[in-house]
Amino acid sequence: MDLTFSKEDEDFRREFRSWLDTNLPAEMRTGAFWADKTEDESFSIRRQWEADKAAAGFAGIVWPTEYGGRGGTPTMKAIYDQEMIRANAPTTVNPLGLTFLAPTVMFLGTEEQKKTIIPELLHNKTIWCQGFSEPGAGSDLAALQMKAERQGEEYVLNGQKIWTTNAMHGDKIFTMARTGAPEGSKKHAGISMLLVDMHQKGVEARPLKQMSGASEFGEVFFTDATCPVTEVLGGEGNGWQTAMLLLSFERGSSAISQYTEFRKMWDEVAAYARETSRDGKAAAQDPVLRQQLAKSLVELECLKYHSWHVLTQTSQGKDLGFEASMTKLFWANTFRDLGDVYSDIAGQEFQLTAGARGASRQELTSMALWSRSCTIWGGSNEVQRTVIAERVLGLPR
Amino acid sequence: MRFALTDEQRDLQDAVRSYLRDRFGPQQVREVYEDPAGDAVPDKLWASIGEQGWLALMVPEQYEGFDAGLVEASVIARAFGAGTVPGPWLGTVLAAEALRLGGSPEQQAAWLPRLASGEAKGAVALIAPGNSPRPASAGAEAVQGRLTGTLNLVEYAAVADVLVVAAADGLYLVQPGEGVTVQALDALDRTSRLTTVTLTGAAGEKLAGATPEVHQQLLDRAAVLVANDLVGIARKALTDTVEYDKTRVQFGRPVGSFQAIKHHLADLVVHVTMAEHAALYAAYALDSGAQDATLAVSIAKSKAGDVARQATSDMIQYHGGIGFTWEHDAHFYFKRAKRLEYAYGDATQHRERIAALLIDAAPAEDNSLGGGTAVGGTGASQGTGVAAGVAV
Repeated sequence: MDLTFSKEDEDFRREFRSWLDTNLPAEMRTGAFWADKTEDESFSIRRQWEADKAAAGFAGIVWPTEYGGRGGTPTMKAIYDQEMIRANAPTTVNPLGLTFLAPTVMFLGTEEQKKTIIPELLHNKTIWCQGFSEPGAGSDLAALQMKAERQGEEYVLNGQKIWTTNAMHGDKIFTMARTGAPEGSKKHAGISMLLVDMHQKGVEARPLKQMSGASEFGEVFFTDATCPVTEVLGGEGNGWQTAMLLLSFERGSSAISQYTEFRKMWDEVAAYARETSRDGKAAAQDPVLRQQLAKSLVELECLKYHSWHVLTQTSQGKDLGFEASMTKLFWANTFRDLGDVYSDIAGQEFQLTAGARGASRQELTSMALWSRSCTIWGGSNEVQRTVIAERVLGLPR
Repeated sequence: MRFALTDEQRDLQDAVRSYLRDRFGPQQVREVYEDPAGDAVPDKLWASIGEQGWLALMVPEQYEGFDAGLVEASVIARAFGAGTVPGPWLGTVLAAEALRLGGSPEQQAAWLPRLASGEAKGAVALIAPGNSPRPASAGAEAVQGRLTGTLNLVEYAAVADVLVVAAADGLYLVQPGEGVTVQALDALDRTSRLTTVTLTGAAGEKLAGATPEVHQQLLDRAAVLVANDLVGIARKALTDTVEYDKTRVQFGRPVGSFQAIKHHLADLVVHVTMAEHAALYAAYALDSGAQDATLAVSIAKSKAGDVARQATSDMIQYHGGIGFTWEHDAHFYFKRAKRLEYAYGDATQHRERIAALLIDAAPAEDNSLGGGTAVGGTGASQGTGVAAGVAV
């Protein structure tokens, strides 16, 4: 057992921390700064700040330098994630590109794709959307209907995608479409992953308002949109395998940053409990609420230990495989349950967008609402449980 | 960064697992179970435990031990939980720990080599049943070296050569003899033997260095070993249930193919895995004197207790009727888990200790995430080990 970091890793932490100290203005670390900005204004400030960070060499931490990455270790990536959250740095505007597309391109893209896609994505020259879900194909992704018909050197796309993060800001979309028919009952066949330019006449994005009131996702309509036949990732007809590989990158990799973020939230919730009155005493003194808070802390710290386990595995070059579904299921539930503990402490005041502790409470409420999406996106809890039961435990289909 | 057993620790784990597989399996456990009048110390097993050095792991080298840590001892505890192994291993190990941490050199020399080899068996009364895990009398009062009182639910006192007793003013060594009466109790989990010890002016030898901090340290170490036993139980209960449900056919298909069962077992394996992490880290945290050690102990004990309860209940449920029979092993796991769930503080009491550590005191301003010695060591907000444990 060794829970320390190497000197190189610690040097990297110091270097990045000091860069953040200099280059992340104090006001940008507060909720108040972002509260009076429109979504477009926020997006454009974050996009620029992130591009500056990439220019300083703090992006693509584990990716090879030849593709614009830093060539660092998985541990450095974990440190990077922690420091970003510690500093209250703006979250990435290119999450789908960074988390899903880039590792997939690195794994199975052509040399040409690696050299163009990854550096442009790192510097936010291209904002990527993910086009998987359709109105009739959510958890049952293989039921997708979008068609890509080959006409000469182009595919012509027709169909609709939904729940598309950054739909209104996207430059390109990696999307799943039918390039061929299913083979009998094998509906996973005949699907391809296409890389489509969103700035064209046949592509129209419309915002969708979420239950939190934000519009960070939307829907994308394709009407005779086109993309060159060279813009296929993983080969024509291999879209299903490509998508499964792509999703596996998300499910397990980020446990340490999830922990860091949720633990900050827990500390805020505990502080709120100390100041909130319940039957004439602090809510923090209520024996039942104390138990709930402590139970939430237990789960959170287990997530931290688990992130060490994940880091140990990835540092040794081991693939997490289907166990990544365990990580996703656990962090999503832990986060959601913390949101519920918070609302139990807030009680009726949960309804109020302002009130005591102003910005802090607003942020807690928005996290509690956001947590309701995390048990759905990236494979719902129910999908993860089926994966775990069949692929980890080996229970029969 | 390596959060995993070392190769040596893994070898130890393989050794104890393969010993149990080959020499002390469910049939041998059942023989102990079905002999309620016996002392539940199978001779060959106990001799082997001593010969293999499994009692000597934490004993210093000068007393014929291995000078290893709680992580190594936890490897044994976990395997013993998975095997529902009977015998006074825990009591003997904890008695030796009490001597190591609080005994005089003379007391250590007199007892540690014998406890390390298994020649002498130990038992401990460190906490009164139902109490939260903090230093207090287990039920005895000492007056001029003479102990009087009733010690409830003491494991294996009938076979112990030495008993470590928590009195109001510290820890004492008591040997069987005048003033010591041990009464066997009829208890559910027959992989152990519970007794009531009545002391009436029994001669007690005080452990000179056994401060309240040492007492707390012992309670924490006991909680970690029990947590590891519990996660061993939980993992085995899960594994056996999965295997059974792969082959048990109802409605023309294996019951493990039904989503209602699949999803439940998927949730269970996630939580068993988390409890394993927590039990491992708690052992390491105490070994390394980590800043969050006290917190880690309470996390491990509460999580392991909750998970073992769930896993052993599921084992019965997802075996159907056969799981409720005496002939099936499911009740070994269920009853052992029930015994240990409440030992050295139950889940609720440990969560209350977490609340006292983290909720009552406002955390320090910088919830420092790494940058120190360990990832996510969350700084001063988690109290300072033993001292914080005593304060609650």
